[in-house]
Amino acid sequence: MVISFFFDNEQIFGQKAEEFVLQWVTIVGGFALVLGVFSIVRVNARAVAMKSRDWPFKLMTVVSVFAMAVPAMLPVSKSSNGGKVLFSIIPESWGSLFGTGPNSIYDWLFNYLDSPMMETMFAMLAFFIASAAYRAFRARSADATLLLLTALLVMLWRVPMGEAFLRLFGDSVPDYINTFIMNGFNVAVQRGIIIGAALGAASMSLRIMLGIERTYMGKG
Amino acid sequence: MLENLTFVEHFQIWLRAFLILSLFSFLYKDNIFYKFSEHIFAGLSAGYYVGLIWRSVIVQQLINPMFDNSEWWLVFPGILGVLMFARLKPKWTWVSRVSLAFVIGNTAGIYLISSLHGMIFKQIAPMMVSVNQGDGLEKILLALLVIVGVITTLVYFYFSKEHKGALGVTARVGIWFIMIAFGAHFGYTVMGRISLLIGRAEFLFYQWGGSLTQIF
Amino acid sequence: MGFWERIANIDRRWIYLLVALSVTLPMIIAMKFPIGLTPEAKQLFNAIDALPDSSAVMLTFDYYPSTIAETEPMSVAALRHMFSKDMHVLTVSNIPLGGPSIAERVTRAVAAEFGKEYGIDYVNLGYRANYVAVMHGLASSIESIFMSDNTGTPLRELPMMQNIKNYDDLDFIYVVADNATVDYWISIVNAQYDIRVGSGVTAVVAPKMYAFVESGQMTGLLGGMKGAAEYEKLLGKKGTATRGMDSQSLVHLLVIFFVIVGNIGYFASRKKEKK
Repeated sequence: MVISFFFDNEQIFGQKAEEFVLQWVTIVGGFALVLGVFSIVRVNARAVAMKSRDWPFKLMTVVSVFAMAVPAMLPVSKSSNGGKVLFSIIPESWGSLFGTGPNSIYDWLFNYLDSPMMETMFAMLAFFIASAAYRAFRARSADATLLLLTALLVMLWRVPMGEAFLRLFGDSVPDYINTFIMNGFNVAVQRGIIIGAALGAASMSLRIMLGIERTYMGKG
Repeated sequence: MLENLTFVEHFQIWLRAFLILSLFSFLYKDNIFYKFSEHIFAGLSAGYYVGLIWRSVIVQQLINPMFDNSEWWLVFPGILGVLMFARLKPKWTWVSRVSLAFVIGNTAGIYLISSLHGMIFKQIAPMMVSVNQGDGLEKILLALLVIVGVITTLVYFYFSKEHKGALGVTARVGIWFIMIAFGAHFGYTVMGRISLLIGRAEFLFYQWGGSLTQIF
Repeated sequence: MGFWERIANIDRRWIYLLVALSVTLPMIIAMKFPIGLTPEAKQLFNAIDALPDSSAVMLTFDYYPSTIAETEPMSVAALRHMFSKDMHVLTVSNIPLGGPSIAERVTRAVAAEFGKEYGIDYVNLGYRANYVAVMHGLASSIESIFMSDNTGTPLRELPMMQNIKNYDDLDFIYVVADNATVDYWISIVNAQYDIRVGSGVTAVVAPKMYAFVESGQMTGLLGGMKGAAEYEKLLGKKGTATRGMDSQSLVHLLVIFFVIVGNIGYFASRKKEKK
């Protein structure tokens, strides 16, 4: 990847070398994602088998995994060998229910169960953040006061009602907030953090490439 | 207002509303409805990964090209992928390191270049501005503010030397910059979280409410 | 227990109730304050608006279902803008949980509004693992990473893809994201392949993106639901983001009120302790 940045890799490695490597990485990376699901099923199935606390709920987790995954994995048409076998048992018109396309069982479960629940889980954070603002957001020191005042100003500026309120103090006040707080102080600090983090990422990459960093392999 | 809903549409709206309210019920206290929804949610999300990877990786990137286009060399990344599962047995964990090294090595190469070329150089370059007389006070002030802010922020995060003397003063200025930026970030975070709640409230009010008014 | 101590120790559920009421009230009584525009939102809108009709653009769905209240209005508004200019839209998702499904649902719904046809006017590529490798891979050949689209149709069978082979054939990339993928669209795709990238991101991600806009690496930015509302205003078509702005305003005021009351209580009880 590093060499391909500096040189014309087609001339060095022959055509498509980089393409192959990147294609392979996307394939191997896909398997890594499923690895975690095996652990979830194993842990929950064990809890069900041992009838540990809340086991009926854990059973529902395992059932949900299969309810989502199995229809997605079934063939959608007769074009494959698996499809020929499946659709000799059930009508071929049922094929649209399988796979991951629109109107499939997988798609329905995602749109009407999984997605609304995930949206709600994160929506609950609004209540917690409001409660935290009430209980913990204190002007205990000069630094904390600076943070607090900026937060209040930005909260006002980012909503139409607050912006209308700020305009009472001058028509350019909202523009000044965007210019000096967001494009001034904020850009400066974000840039400092970006540069610092990028230096860290670059040095870590170099350590990995030189074999100094091997913790990802479980070695010190 | 919603158009006349069919039975299936009513059912879909009520199902979503039930799950949303079950999860929100946790705000009052932990209960059986919350646990029910939470466990289904975890299972479905895990199942989603399996379905997606089966379709997009195993079928589309491996099986189809191998059998339809005779791209048999794809068996190698397939094997590397399967080796990942060796991690599930502690005795065989070492086998998975081959695949892991392949992915990590490749990603490290990409990160090295993107960090240096795409982040560091590209972020430093715009600070090398030439200020002209005609630029106006606002632009000059802003350019100065950013340069001072970047330097003092980096100094604040430099922990190899004790923050005393000139370094201490610079780091102190850095803290002020950081506090203002984090304040702005906090304001944005509050905004984001509230938006997510609005999304759910709009569903309950407009869609579930619409269904309710049509039924009753 | 004094008044301020009682106020400070109020049951959290009263706070939750007030938040819920503030979100719902504007849905009954609309306030309709004007939505101010930021230069960053205008820059993004103008960049897409200035593209010639029938240009090829990429729209990413790099967000989880958890943030669709903020991000989906951005995707919808962008698609409306792009389809109204007869652009060819190629979508991709780097999010394994929900991204490809959201892309399918949103693009098909907006395409139906404009009578656009799948495969001719728009294509959903779907998802591939390891997004940094995907971003690099698309530079040399889209087909090397996505042999087929999200539903399994080979790309060579889709008419639109006959003219789009890699980044060179795209005029603009509009990233809608709620996570770090947007950093790599900038540091890999924009930096190494010199293609313009604009973004619509969640409010949590937005402050960092200002640094990329200021450096010229990013062409325009929408931050959170307000950003989406700005784009809807520029497009002249109100959507869910504009509708949500009243609730957003009221809850912000409530949170500000909470912070002020909380601090008054804090200082009052501290003064009492000192005495």
